[in-house]
Amino acid sequence: MMNGLLTNKKLLFVLGPVTGLVMFGSVLFIATFLTNREYREPDRAPVTIVDPTPRTQGLADETAAAEAAARAKPYVEVEYRRFPVVGSRVAIWAVAQLHLLFAAFVLAVPIFAVLIEAIGYKTGDKRYDRLAYEFTKLLSVSFSLTATFGAFLTFMLIALYPRFTNYLMSVFSPTFLPYVLLFFLEAFFLYAYYYGWGKFHPLVHLGLGIGLNVVGTGIMLIANAWLTFMMSPAGVSDTGAVISVSDAITNYTWMPINVHRVIANVAFGGSVAAAYAAFKFLSAETDEERAHYDWMGYIGNFVAIISFLPLPFAGYWLAKEIYAYSQTLGLTMMGGAFSWLFIIQAVLIGNLFLGANYYLWLGMGRVEGKQPIQRVIKYLLIAIVLCFMVWATPRSIIATVSEVRAMRGSAHPVLGFLGVMSAKNTAVNILILTTFMSFLLYRRTGKVATVAWAKTGHAVQLLIFGAAAIFVIFLGIYGYFVEASVRIGLSVPQVSSVLFAMVAISVIDIFLFRKPKLTGEVRWGRIPAISQYVLIFIAVTFTWLMGLMGYVRSGLRQHWHVYGIVRDTSPDAFTPTLGFATQVVSATVLVFFVLIGFVFWLSSLHDRPDFDERTKAS
Amino acid sequence: MTIPLPARIGLLVIATTAFYTYVGQLVPQKEVQPPQETVLRADLTTADMVTVGRQIMEGKGLCMTCHTIGKSGALRFPDLDGVASRAATREPGLNEVEYFAKSIYAPDSYIVPGFNPGMPVINKPPIGLTDPEILCVIAYLQTLGGTATVTLQTSHSYYKAPGATADAPPDEKKAEPGEKLELTLPPAQKGAPAAAPPPAKKGV
Repeated sequence: MMNGLLTNKKLLFVLGPVTGLVMFGSVLFIATFLTNREYREPDRAPVTIVDPTPRTQGLADETAAAEAAARAKPYVEVEYRRFPVVGSRVAIWAVAQLHLLFAAFVLAVPIFAVLIEAIGYKTGDKRYDRLAYEFTKLLSVSFSLTATFGAFLTFMLIALYPRFTNYLMSVFSPTFLPYVLLFFLEAFFLYAYYYGWGKFHPLVHLGLGIGLNVVGTGIMLIANAWLTFMMSPAGVSDTGAVISVSDAITNYTWMPINVHRVIANVAFGGSVAAAYAAFKFLSAETDEERAHYDWMGYIGNFVAIISFLPLPFAGYWLAKEIYAYSQTLGLTMMGGAFSWLFIIQAVLIGNLFLGANYYLWLGMGRVEGKQPIQRVIKYLLIAIVLCFMVWATPRSIIATVSEVRAMRGSAHPVLGFLGVMSAKNTAVNILILTTFMSFLLYRRTGKVATVAWAKTGHAVQLLIFGAAAIFVIFLGIYGYFVEASVRIGLSVPQVSSVLFAMVAISVIDIFLFRKPKLTGEVRWGRIPAISQYVLIFIAVTFTWLMGLMGYVRSGLRQHWHVYGIVRDTSPDAFTPTLGFATQVVSATVLVFFVLIGFVFWLSSLHDRPDFDERTKAS
Repeated sequence: MTIPLPARIGLLVIATTAFYTYVGQLVPQKEVQPPQETVLRADLTTADMVTVGRQIMEGKGLCMTCHTIGKSGALRFPDLDGVASRAATREPGLNEVEYFAKSIYAPDSYIVPGFNPGMPVINKPPIGLTDPEILCVIAYLQTLGGTATVTLQTSHSYYKAPGATADAPPDEKKAEPGEKLELTLPPAQKGAPAAAPPPAKKGV
């Protein structure tokens, strides 16, 4: 029946206009719905003129009085307007989150697309060029959606929070023109980069890609100034008057957020691109397609996880700056209303590590023959699960009154020790080290080192890994026996030792496997289908994590629009429960995946044969 | 029957988000309201002030977010159990009221050994306790290892009580005997820019 409908030419012809009319009608309906719910003062004539006047004269007087009252009405700046059904905060929250998710994707993909293109140019391997183009194809529609959601967010702010928006605009007005200019440049570079693929000299094209990244980063830096000012305002007087716009821009949390966002964007972009590859892999019809999209998924996931590994360190820095700006803000985050949010975060990050490692272990099956390295997996799995359990253990647990009495407090007498930062820092550092080892083992699959110093090299690598792990665990335990002022500083050597181990082991590995003996070919495309669902799971988890952490960053201000400067006096000034917050995050994530599915579908049209060709073929 | 690929992916996305939403429902659910408008009578007794002070410390003042009472071990901020007995001898020349006032109005001027600086200025936004509210907090702190003595007429280096002879800042609201004193943020703060001191920028 569906085929019959689709072959009806008249129906096909009217399909587009009818859909357009339906959508236009829907917009009109929504606008009317919203307008009708707006409160209007009733038109009432003064009581004294109602009775003794004849009806016609009375009506005329009423109209005249209403007109006179309307003309005499003074201008009063509206502080807030209410969005129907869900309220203004949730409406702004959802639109801002969708804008940020698409913006993150649009900023991230060019970073690794240009890198992959550069590798292709340097090595002469056309596969890389094709891969970079495949990533770039996703950008065009995403860019439009980012801009649309950006405009949507701006109008929503002006409509729903006019007074606060006016204040923010008055502080940051000098940044608007550069922002618009950069946006034009972004459009120029993006479309020139996309449509100019293969049309210019490779170096010119790479230059366009680098330009796209520079401009995109510039846009992000300006937008970050606005939002970080709300959290840690600077450059303004006690009453909010602007003293220095440059201080307002370079406020306490601006640079940590910039760094954190660039890294998180790349991780998120890589995971979404890997999900696209997974979708294409699962719908592929030939082995060649499967091989290509398996490889693309691997690269996307590699980009995501490699960027994800340093993210906790950027997070530490951001948290440190939040504490440096205001202990109250920091403690609200880690010890107050939001402390339980980090348990949810632990579940998400634990899942990301588990998913990423599982995908790598499945990937070892791509290599021909039995791989002895796979025997190590069970130990890695045990380490990951243990770290996950430690990280997800809260300091205080939900208990009945009798249980609290039995425990002599809300903290469990044994498990409570795992709920403090010493244990958490240790767990996350060991998780990072373990995931790094999974990458290393995957890299070695099907290879045997042939250099003369291979045995020594392996031993040194193992020694560095073991030393770093022992050092991290030692500092974690030591933290329980020292004062707070010493304990806080222990996270730095923990992080430094992990970073040192990763860099040192990687460098040794590069030289160790320079001309390896190959024990099996890598057969791209030969991987169980479940691995592709893991990639999609990772992408959803990353997106959800972005939503959750976006909420904590913004929600930390609690009843302040600009922390300590502009107070929120709207009905939404309260901080909602975490359960409610997770519902909003989930709804936003689902909308994002519907829209990104649309982007995937549009991108896949590019590879589809033209209509005439398909008609002839059939 | 095989489920179409878009449906399989859709189910996976929905199941994953549903799982995380479920995790979000498992943690304690607390809705945090903005500080309530409270009214403090000018004729509060010291005993009343102790009760109010405790409420402020647990609520608007956010004191108990960091401080503990009766805990030992690795603490992030000093435990307040018995603090009144220590306060009288912490700094030479300062009695317990002056020491408490200094700790609250100028918290970085004295740091308890073994701890890092970190306490915010409590009489400025975002916490913004008023001077009489801080007196109530001092009254409660005095009971932790001592006896409360302050009244709303008590003056200290950072506050001159109503009726005191020394000059007070002109914008400070004074409590006249019998008058109800609003303990909320001033009306100018509602929705409009109001007093807030961002900390000095590092390195500037």
